[in-house]
Amino acid sequence: MNDTAIKTTELSHSYGPKAALKGLNLSVGEGEIFGLLGHNGAGKTTAVSLLTTLIPPTEGTATILGLDIHADADEVRRTIGYLPENVQFYGNLTLLENLRFFARLSGLDKPDARIREVLEFLDFTGHESERLSTFSKGMRQRVGIAQSILHNPKVLFLDEPTSGLDPQGVRNLREIILNLNRHFGMTIFMNTHLLAEVTQTCTSIGVLREGELVYQDSLAATLTAFPDEASLEDIYLHIEARPER
Amino acid sequence: MNSLLVIARRELTDLKRTRFYLILFGFLAVVMILSVIVASFDFRAKIGDYNLYLDTLRRSGSTETPPAPQLFPLQLLRGSIEYLELIGALFAIIIGYGTVAKEKQHGTLHLIFTRPVSRFTVAGGKVLAFAVAWAVVTAGVFVAMIAALLVIGNAPLQLIDFERLALTAIIAWLYLMLWSCVAMGLAARARRASTGLIVALVAWLVVVLIIPQIGDTMDPDNQVPGGLFKSLAVAKPDEKAVMANFAGFDDIRNGLEVSSITKHFERPAFALLGIKDQYNQQPVGDVWASMLPYTITLTLAFMGAVGFTALATTKRALLRRES
Amino acid sequence: MPQVLLAVFVGMVTASSVIGWLTNQVVTSVYDRTFAAGLTTQPNPFSAVSPLYYAKNTVIYIILIGALLAIVLGVQSTIRDRKAHTFDLVLSRPVRPASYLGAKLAGLLCWVAGILALSALISWTSISAIVGSVLSPGDTARLLGFYALAWLFLLPFIILGMLTGVYSRRETTALLVPIVIWSVVTFVVPQLGTAAHPVSLLNPVPAIASQGGVFQLANLVLGPLSLTEHFKQASAFVLGDTATTGSPLLSLVVMVAFAGCMLVVLLTTQRDRMRSPLDE
Repeated sequence: MNDTAIKTTELSHSYGPKAALKGLNLSVGEGEIFGLLGHNGAGKTTAVSLLTTLIPPTEGTATILGLDIHADADEVRRTIGYLPENVQFYGNLTLLENLRFFARLSGLDKPDARIREVLEFLDFTGHESERLSTFSKGMRQRVGIAQSILHNPKVLFLDEPTSGLDPQGVRNLREIILNLNRHFGMTIFMNTHLLAEVTQTCTSIGVLREGELVYQDSLAATLTAFPDEASLEDIYLHIEARPER
Repeated sequence: MNSLLVIARRELTDLKRTRFYLILFGFLAVVMILSVIVASFDFRAKIGDYNLYLDTLRRSGSTETPPAPQLFPLQLLRGSIEYLELIGALFAIIIGYGTVAKEKQHGTLHLIFTRPVSRFTVAGGKVLAFAVAWAVVTAGVFVAMIAALLVIGNAPLQLIDFERLALTAIIAWLYLMLWSCVAMGLAARARRASTGLIVALVAWLVVVLIIPQIGDTMDPDNQVPGGLFKSLAVAKPDEKAVMANFAGFDDIRNGLEVSSITKHFERPAFALLGIKDQYNQQPVGDVWASMLPYTITLTLAFMGAVGFTALATTKRALLRRES
Repeated sequence: MPQVLLAVFVGMVTASSVIGWLTNQVVTSVYDRTFAAGLTTQPNPFSAVSPLYYAKNTVIYIILIGALLAIVLGVQSTIRDRKAHTFDLVLSRPVRPASYLGAKLAGLLCWVAGILALSALISWTSISAIVGSVLSPGDTARLLGFYALAWLFLLPFIILGMLTGVYSRRETTALLVPIVIWSVVTFVVPQLGTAAHPVSLLNPVPAIASQGGVFQLANLVLGPLSLTEHFKQASAFVLGDTATTGSPLLSLVVMVAFAGCMLVVLLTTQRDRMRSPLDE
């Protein structure tokens, strides 16, 4: 087992009287690609919001590479990268200006060399002086990935990264995620509905149901643990349909 | 670069590139210049009337020469200052709202708050951007007004006039900043930014238009077209003597007017520019001293608005889900 | 959120009779004192003032709050359809754009008529209470006539809001553009024609045109566009304000023309335009 990248202990969050996440106990090893699955409203985005320090836990704790998300919030922010769902960025700014903005907020004072490096890695050069208002959804998603890795984060959080992408866009993104993991050893935590993507990308999965983690294991173990199910989709639906423990 | 400056710089770039805002600023400058033109023509019409009257007197054999209407160039700016207080405040609200609404709509706040930024960085960066933007716009419209005075009004401006204009520009900046900060704070607090906009517009309606309007229509002289005392052929000193008997009513009326912050901008501006007769051609120091209470309340209101927006524009408020 | 504007509007209509009455009491005292001091020999311009005089501030609240309320209602009615893509659904049925927009407008006009009827009731009650007797049938008819004029005045602003809701690319633009147009009609156009200062145009007494040659010409050209000044003029006539000069019939014609033109523009809106997506 690798060292732990993400660890949560009884992590909970409520929006007013409504409990969105109930006592999440989760562990993701360094270098893993972890897929968090669940129906709409299961608490996936709340989990990511907690782990990225956007919202404070109502109860429980979590650490990212040993750093507490509450006590060491700024250190956690320097360690992680994040791509939220459907972010549109600043349409009036060019690609370069958008990336400079996020790089500087991440503490890079002279970010141009690093931006060039990241754009080359993503095979996305030649658009630096174009305004983002002219970009397609797929192009914006690349901008999203670019801004999330500018400061060399060790852990990357992706919230529904394939949402709204065409099949080519989905394939490109998959390659990027796998490359980030292979070349830089980045731990990746992603929420997704696309189970085919999980099969091709993730090394481990977890299933949230109504704010509770009802399943967690490696992908390989999961596929062998349910011999009667033909695909991950069937396994997921099987887990979802199981009576509550 | 400091995160606050990074955010301020991005806001300024965005403001500069938003065509809609440029149209708004252009519109404001145009109506303010138009107002100077109208006032100049009005003055010329008064001179024409005076010459006509003089001719009539001469023809009737009179040797009396009544005093000619005197041009005090800064008085031509009355309408422009009123546009700044009415329409300028409206545009300040739009800008303040826009800076939060855009971030909420584009989902960029989630990215900013996952960076190591401190509690007041986002609010501070935006307020700093307003400060620069309004300084540029205020300077721009005042330069445009000066140009209109010089070119269209054919008005000779003295050094002291520039001093008066500069002081007026500073209080105009405070006033516009106040509205941008209030609107930004309201847009941040509201679950839906557009709700914040409508609340800010209602505040504008009440504070800028309704309250001063009530005070204005309660003025006995405003009850007849052209003025009550004018229609009764009562001279100014006699008017003052009569109105001295209604000091209590006038205090209530005045109290109502000064409950609007707009009057705390308008009164010092009118005094500095000599639009209010009693302050016309008075030393700047004396006018400033007389108007100090209004300037202080305006400054306090400005600071209150900055404080409000700093406290309202928090991560928690901004990231609240829309219902 | 139009509820907040509505509350402010109804509140101000309620307050306006009291403000009007209080001001009238003071002005009469001012005149009496001026006359007693021998400073004037003119007759008291307020001696035979109609009780409806107390409602004259309502004219301004209709111009200020009523028009903004009308704009917000208009914008929301069309922008909501674009946001929720219900225009797409409705227009995929055998419904002509003119019928749909006309029906929406009719609904809004009924709503506005309801608000104005409530305001009329408040004005009637408060003025009756102030003068200590029930308003005469003649005065009641005049008050109703004034609110009918208000309804006609608000119609173009509702349509303006609906149109910017259909044509704008953003919700903010849809809301702001009609407010800017309103400010031009309320302040800029009358100022160009009369040389009146913008804030003084918030007085219910119509502005008097400056007599200079330029202003006579400007007033001739821009006069018909001063919708708010025409509304003030027509209202002053209906409310029995004898101090106001000018032709109420011309004002009525201008108001009807404005409403008619806006209606034509609304009803000729193209199907494609209604389906155009919003940027946000």
